[in-house]
Formats: sequence, structure tokens, C-alpha cells
Amino acid sequence: MSSHAVSTQSKANWGGGGVSPFGMSYGKMFMWFFLLSDAFTFSGLLAAYGFMRHKYTDIWPDPGHVFHHFPFYDGSIPLAYVGLMTFILIMSSVTMVLAVEAGHRNRKNQVAMWMLLTIIGGALFLGSQAWEWYNFIVGTPEGAVRNVLVDGVFVDQVVHGANMTYNEYGHTVFANFFFFITGFHGFHVFTGVLLNVIIYINVIRGTYEKRGHYEMVEKVGLYWHFVDLVWVFVFTFFYLL
Amino acid sequence: MEFNDGYPSYEKMALHDEEHGKKVRKAIWKVFWILLIVTLVELVVGFQAHAWNLGRTFLMVFFISLTIVKAAYIVMSFMHLGDEVKSFKWTVLGPFAILILYLVFLVDPGEGTYSKSGRYVIDKNLTKHTHQSHTPAKEASKH
Repeated sequence: MSSHAVSTQSKANWGGGGVSPFGMSYGKMFMWFFLLSDAFTFSGLLAAYGFMRHKYTDIWPDPGHVFHHFPFYDGSIPLAYVGLMTFILIMSSVTMVLAVEAGHRNRKNQVAMWMLLTIIGGALFLGSQAWEWYNFIVGTPEGAVRNVLVDGVFVDQVVHGANMTYNEYGHTVFANFFFFITGFHGFHVFTGVLLNVIIYINVIRGTYEKRGHYEMVEKVGLYWHFVDLVWVFVFTFFYLL
Repeated sequence: MEFNDGYPSYEKMALHDEEHGKKVRKAIWKVFWILLIVTLVELVVGFQAHAWNLGRTFLMVFFISLTIVKAAYIVMSFMHLGDEVKSFKWTVLGPFAILILYLVFLVDPGEGTYSKSGRYVIDKNLTKHTHQSHTPAKEASKH
């Protein structure tokens, strides 16, 4: 290994190699660049959504009418459950940043505890999203009359709920975008939970304690905060506007 | 034997002591309360939008501004972008400044794609000409 040991202390200029251009590790930097590209993907999806939303303003469903269910409660409270989901995700973002902070102090047990709480928050959010999808797909008992394709001909018939071909609440494209964008976001949450579990196991096994720093926690933390960040925008454009 | 490539250990530079940790945690909880309150305000306004007779333009400006406030707190504080060097901040935020400009031009009420005048009118006439039988009511029942 001695052949690799090049002294870089004298190299003040990053162009010569050996020093990171932005004063951070390459792993963290490229996590940022990945997230940057991912953010553009979501921006594109949301811009497309906004375009359709604008084009079909008159027949666009009011999210308050569509998403008004609450677990163990028969009545209707518009947006309450999605507000709770948002709170869960913000909370899990807080536990994640607390795990990163504990990592900066090399406190293994604290990192493990906050990581575990983050994983629980992520799982709760995923479950909530599945429940939200379920209600949207099943729809209301009354349903609505829509022109749907049956055996190659369009006929008017009562439909319940929404899927890729019809939507009792309004324009089909609303359901398409809802499934695609919240689905894509949910997939990110799922991946994030998976990464968090892997890092959590490594924390418990003492991998990072041996390494002397918990930067891996910080890297998956960046990803996890990004998932929260995207949700902030999805929440605004799908549920509030 | 520990692997050493002579590369500075940025990972270990990020370490801090208990005293500093207290300050960091305090800042984290402060951001948490800001995010929570902003979200609650958004929910109340969204819930009461009809009752309070709030216009669509006002709601759009209101919600999008608050969303950007929340996003800024998440990126700057939780993702620690505020603590990175200036050149890195620009590397990440610069591309988004361009994207936001693009979106502003798209929405621009005068000339943008989303506008009711300008190009949009030409589009509308074309649609009318080719699908003359389509009335808005029929459109609605179709979907």
C-alpha cells in the first residue's frame, strides 16, 4: 500500500487531483448529483401534470372531494389523512437528520435508535399510501356515469373508483398522473426504506464504528431527505392546488 | 493495516463534539417546527379555500411560495447544503434557477403556453376547426 501513499497536504489546487473540488467526499458529492438528476425527472412529471391540470380546469376533480377518508372513521374530513402522511414523512426526515448528527459524534447506539425510527416512519408512510390508493381505486358506492370502452365500443355506464382507463371523480388523466407520480414517489420511499435497513444493519454490526465515521448514514440521509422534498411538492400540486 | 491513499478524510472532518451537537440538534428541532406550522397553515387554507372565497391565482402564489420555503429549509438545513462551500451550492442550485425561469416563461400570462391569450388562442381555433362536434359538456362525459 505504500506506493499509494502520496502526500497531498501540499496540494492546495484541486485540479491536480488528490483533493476534492468541493471539499467533500466523492461519495457524498455524487449522491448530490444523482439527486439533482432525479429532481429534474420529478420536475418534468409535475410540469406535465400542471399542463394537463390547466388544460382541463373545468372537469378536474377537487382533491378535497376525492381524498377525504380517515382510518376508523366513517365521516369525511378532506385532506386530513394526507396531512397526517406529510407529518409522518417530515417526522422521519427529522429522525434521519438526528441520526446523522449522532453519527458526527460517533454514538453508535443513538445512530441505531434514530435509524430505526426513520425506518418505522418510512414503513408507516408506505402503508398510508397503499391505503390512499385503495380508497381511490375502490371509489364511492354511488359511482358516476362515464363513457368507457367495453368490447370495442364506447358505452355509458356507472363506474366506481379510478384506474388507468376511467375515473369516477373526473378526467382519466388525473388518475393516470396520480398513479404515476405518487407511484414513482412511493417507489423512491420503498427504495429509501430498503437502503435505510441495510445501513441500519451495518450500524448495529459496528461497520462504521470500525471505520471511524458514519458518512454512509449521511449519504442515505441525503436520499431520504430528497424523498421528503419531493413529497412536499407532490402534496402541494396534487392535494392543495 | 489501514488503507491510506493520501486523500484527505472529509468524512472525519465532519465529526463534532457533544457541545457542538447540542447546537445542531436545537437547529434541527427549530426547522421541524417551521415545517410543521407551514404545513398546518397550508392545510387550513386548502380546507377553507371555498369558504373564504380565495381566488385561484392567490392560492397558486400562496401555496407555491410556502412550498419553496419548506423546500429551502429541507435542502439548506436537513441536507446541510447551507454548510457546503459556495461553489457547490451554485453547482446544485444553478441548474434549478434555469428550470424555474423556464417554468415562469411557460406560465407567463402574456405569451406563455399556459396563457389564455397569444398562442393559446390559435391552438383553440385549430381544435375547434378539426373537432367541431366537441362541446365541453360532451368532453366531460367522455372521460
